[in-house]
Amino acid sequence: MTKADVIKVIKKNILDNLEDLNEADIDPKKSMKDYGANSLDIIEVVSTSMRELNIKIPRSELADISTIDQLADKFMEQAK
Amino acid sequence: MKNALSFSLADFFYNDSPNVLTPPSDFLEWIQDPQIQAGFSFFHQMLLDAPRSVTKIHSNIDGKDRRVINFTSYNYLGLSTHPEVIQAVIDGVKKYGMGASGSPMLSGTFDVHVQFAKKLADFKKKEDCILFSSGLGGNVGALQGLLRKGDILVMDEKIHKSLVDGGILSGAKMIFFKHNDMQHLDQILSEHKGKRTLLAVEGVYSMDGDLVKLPEITQMIDSSYPNVALYLDEAHSSLMFGKNGRGVGEHFGLEDKVGMDYGTLSKSFGGVGGFICSNALIVKYLRGYASAFNFSCAPSPAIVCGLMKSLEVATRDSSLRDKLWENTKYFKDKLQAMKLNLGGTQSQVIPIIVGSSGELLFELATELQLKGLFLQPVDFPAVPAHERRFRLSMTAQIEREVMDEALNIIEDVIVKKLKAKGMLGE
Repeated sequence: MTKADVIKVIKKNILDNLEDLNEADIDPKKSMKDYGANSLDIIEVVSTSMRELNIKIPRSELADISTIDQLADKFMEQAK
Repeated sequence: MKNALSFSLADFFYNDSPNVLTPPSDFLEWIQDPQIQAGFSFFHQMLLDAPRSVTKIHSNIDGKDRRVINFTSYNYLGLSTHPEVIQAVIDGVKKYGMGASGSPMLSGTFDVHVQFAKKLADFKKKEDCILFSSGLGGNVGALQGLLRKGDILVMDEKIHKSLVDGGILSGAKMIFFKHNDMQHLDQILSEHKGKRTLLAVEGVYSMDGDLVKLPEITQMIDSSYPNVALYLDEAHSSLMFGKNGRGVGEHFGLEDKVGMDYGTLSKSFGGVGGFICSNALIVKYLRGYASAFNFSCAPSPAIVCGLMKSLEVATRDSSLRDKLWENTKYFKDKLQAMKLNLGGTQSQVIPIIVGSSGELLFELATELQLKGLFLQPVDFPAVPAHERRFRLSMTAQIEREVMDEALNIIEDVIVKKLKAKGMLGE
């Protein structure tokens, strides 16, 4: 699994959870909050992405992550 | 399980088991881990006596019955065990029996429900009041009853779960602003200007004990967002804050700016239930749409008799809240002298923050309980991972010598350990 694959999964789940957004609008260097996500939306995106990627990272280790790209890097640690 | 302590209940919310009635496989592995079981043993411990400042519990730590100093119950004013309140409940149960045996609309509205709702509305200086059988039900019912898809619900990020659940149920768009951050709140309200918006805040935030910035919020609404309605959750402040005990709204002299005033009946009132006071028309509307009111059995009339007495006792003079604040000041001063981190508490809810180690938190919790102090640990995700803590609920009914006994235990356990680890300021 490549990082691009991981970002694709995250983007798909962002689109499923947030309104009025196209895939081309999502810049991985930004935070989901920049696209109007609240904390519950973020939990939904992170949890469904982890389930899809078959990985499990404690939420306590995700607290300092601020961008989609950093989230993908964190997922890659287990997805390799 | 490898690194079991890194996980929390937050990590098993989504269940990937094919059978809905089977928890996730890794949840079972996690919850059966001895370290996790030790942590969970603090929860659901049985009280064997009334929730007084000194009570008796069956300890899950060592399986023994033990006298404990109780800083965990929400019996802030001691009304749950006040002799006049107990007598009122006895008289009520003799007259009305145990339960209401019906929903408010059909057969569950008794004379005491109507009388109590009227007294609460008068007390809160609002036109009308609606009673709920549970505190959680009050917040869930209010938001679900008031808001619809397309509406905006703006809440402080530290708001209680009941308001989050009510928001989800309503279908409104929920937006959280950083805790007490007025600039962030202003930005959010500005982005949604013109839409039907409810702003929900708490008078006293339950994990930190700090107050809402009500003067700044009401000024912001008045000057820039006159259509935003304000919902104030006074769960931890009714009967305690303000000259007459009406809550944080009265404390700041801003009661008339609060559109909807929510309170629980399980904390300072010493019973169970919730209530909402507001203008008569919206209360009438809520009676039609708040499911937690409409489709739930009405509160026990006997308990309502006790609650009416609680209101009378707590408001006939200021002695109970004066005692609460005297105790709070005494205890806080002593804890501050020990250099403990009490966060930004401004109320009778006093956190003792011990840092990021879950192992240390539960080690301290075990020792505190074995020495006779019932002080529950609060772990991530209920609080940030770097601010694990104990949460102390002060009460008016505790005696000075019992407070000193508790302070000795805190010094002997928490202060000693934090000092040894170099985690305490000199």
